[in-house]
Amino acid sequence: MKPLKILHLYPDRMNIYGDFGNIICLTQRMKARGIKSQYFSRSIGEEIDQDFDIVFMGGGQDKGQASIAQDLQLKSRALHEHHMRNVPMLTICGAYQLFGKYFITAEGEELPGIGIFNAVTKATDFRMIGNIVIKSDVFGELVGFENHSGVTELLEGSNPLGSVIKGFGNSKDSKTEGILQGSAIGTYLHGSFLPKNPTVADFIIEQAVRLSQPEYSIGELDDWLENEASKIAKNRS
Amino acid sequence: MRKSIAINSAKLARLAVSAVGHEGTSLPGLVAEKIDPGLLAKLAKNNFSKGVIVVTGTNGKTTASKMIADVMQSQGISFIRNQAGSNMPRGIITTILQNSDSKGRCEADMALFEVDEAYVPAICLQLKPKIVTVTNLFRDQLDRYGELDSIATSFKKAFSSLDTTLILNADDPLVASLASGLSKKPVFFGVSDYTGETIENDNTADSIFDSENGEKLQYLQRYFGHIGIYTSKVSKFKRPTPNVELVKMHKLSKSSSNFDVKTSTLTQNIQLKLPGLYNIYNSLAAYAVCKSINIEDKAIASSLASSKPAFGRGEELPFGKKRLQIMLIKNPTGFNQIIQTFLKPKPQTNPVLFCINDNIADGRDVSWLWDSALEDIAGYQGKVIVSGTRAYDMALRLKYAGFKTAKIVIEPDIEQAIQKLLGSIKSGQLGYILPTYTAMLKARSIISQKSGHLVKGISQ
Repeated sequence: MKPLKILHLYPDRMNIYGDFGNIICLTQRMKARGIKSQYFSRSIGEEIDQDFDIVFMGGGQDKGQASIAQDLQLKSRALHEHHMRNVPMLTICGAYQLFGKYFITAEGEELPGIGIFNAVTKATDFRMIGNIVIKSDVFGELVGFENHSGVTELLEGSNPLGSVIKGFGNSKDSKTEGILQGSAIGTYLHGSFLPKNPTVADFIIEQAVRLSQPEYSIGELDDWLENEASKIAKNRS
Repeated sequence: MRKSIAINSAKLARLAVSAVGHEGTSLPGLVAEKIDPGLLAKLAKNNFSKGVIVVTGTNGKTTASKMIADVMQSQGISFIRNQAGSNMPRGIITTILQNSDSKGRCEADMALFEVDEAYVPAICLQLKPKIVTVTNLFRDQLDRYGELDSIATSFKKAFSSLDTTLILNADDPLVASLASGLSKKPVFFGVSDYTGETIENDNTADSIFDSENGEKLQYLQRYFGHIGIYTSKVSKFKRPTPNVELVKMHKLSKSSSNFDVKTSTLTQNIQLKLPGLYNIYNSLAAYAVCKSINIEDKAIASSLASSKPAFGRGEELPFGKKRLQIMLIKNPTGFNQIIQTFLKPKPQTNPVLFCINDNIADGRDVSWLWDSALEDIAGYQGKVIVSGTRAYDMALRLKYAGFKTAKIVIEPDIEQAIQKLLGSIKSGQLGYILPTYTAMLKARSIISQKSGHLVKGISQ
């Protein structure tokens, strides 16, 4: 099998909450199964010039987010094409917001999103910070840490990634967290997200392999450490 | 009236705290602050005729403050200072009250305060310091401090209204950018000669962008994180020429360093009995501060030569024939500096204990572990133990960095973990403890009890 190509968008500007942990987790879990991976980064002014098998983008500071919003528009078409091909995507926090239709900043400025997710986000003066636990029909219980003031509203026909058991998620009232749209995931969970949620990591890898081998079914790994770390995180207040 | 009630209540609170046996570091200040919110400004106004010095920044506050204190002490300067960790308004109020009479009058000519980044604007506006030094600015406990850019913006705003000499790290672009638009010329310190160990998997460069226009800075050399020699391709922004400059590095090791520093008056050799590049930066900050209060270069150098590590920041504690070295870690850049200085150099055989807690003072969010360069030491030969409330998170981080899971000892209980660490240290050998803040306090007190040595209290 050819190596899976991982595209990391704006790693220099959107990398605030241990986002590299997600890349580390994906590549190590591929390695454990004998799947080779290749890492690519594309930042401002760099074109998405080929087909990738996984797309990842992390969270950033407000300034980082504002600085890439315009450039992301130039990548919109290529990213939509990837999404249409069912390429797995993981977008965290600020990236999740910009993959929606738009993001209104605390100053009232509207940053256009690329509309892969049918969702909109508005900054508020309430910061949602803390450990968060959600329940997903697809992935089971997921755990992470959230730190955002943006409230995301899922528009008609969108499915959340999960329902909130503890914490805030998309907003303090909605009890929903993130979005799951085909193979694309948006979430406020970092911590890093994937290492303590290996079911999601494996879903992404499985979807990526299926792009070339539709019948592929991913095998299990020994995840006792992942599960133990996740269990402890769930019980932290 | 309110001021005197506040002062007396605080003094009572301190007595009460002392009576139950704890060193009251912030409760008295908290009481006083509640009664009179403007108390700090009032206390500062009639005190410290020769000025207040504020030391802030993400890493190095405590060590740089201690170095400055050592130099000031050697010169017989009369000053007071806060204790490590008591670096919020209430801790500073407590420090002043502890050293003052019932009217809030303090005999000291000067005050030296290490200040938590989040409180720099509030404290500076009240204390009106003569000197503020910023050691560096890195991502740190985002759940507590918020974003780095907003910290920098709040600093800039506060400094612009003050008549303060800023002493800034020239090699940190975000810190250096604090100088723009100031009426008073800042003093810069920096390192112009470095060829030591570097981190390969460095994900901690937060501010590699020109703060004016967001363009990526060009680095001629990067030492760690976003620290190095940089220039903007599009604007006039570049690394300022340091006024206190390391011009020649002779030696840099796990335990000491030797280098030449050039100032406006002379170039002289400095011997430092502290490890790593990060402590060299701390010493340059201290040098620049002391020079700004007119202490002679020679006197600064001789005092720095005898500076010892601050509380929990590389201090070595004897344990029978074994030795333990405690190195506080609290953010990826600091962690990487410890990796670069202690864990990366071969033969990598000292047993090491990582104690990761996630209490409020540690930061609740442990995602910073994933930004730390554990990949750089994936082949570490010595015993590895993980502990603390997030022991399993640390174990997981090590697993994904390439450590063999079977070799990692997981012991969430810190006391048990220290016991296991001691069991794997050979006679005469040094074991490392890398704790977060609350784990550091715990580890120190456990070691103190176990060894029978009196490990000095909260002070340094």
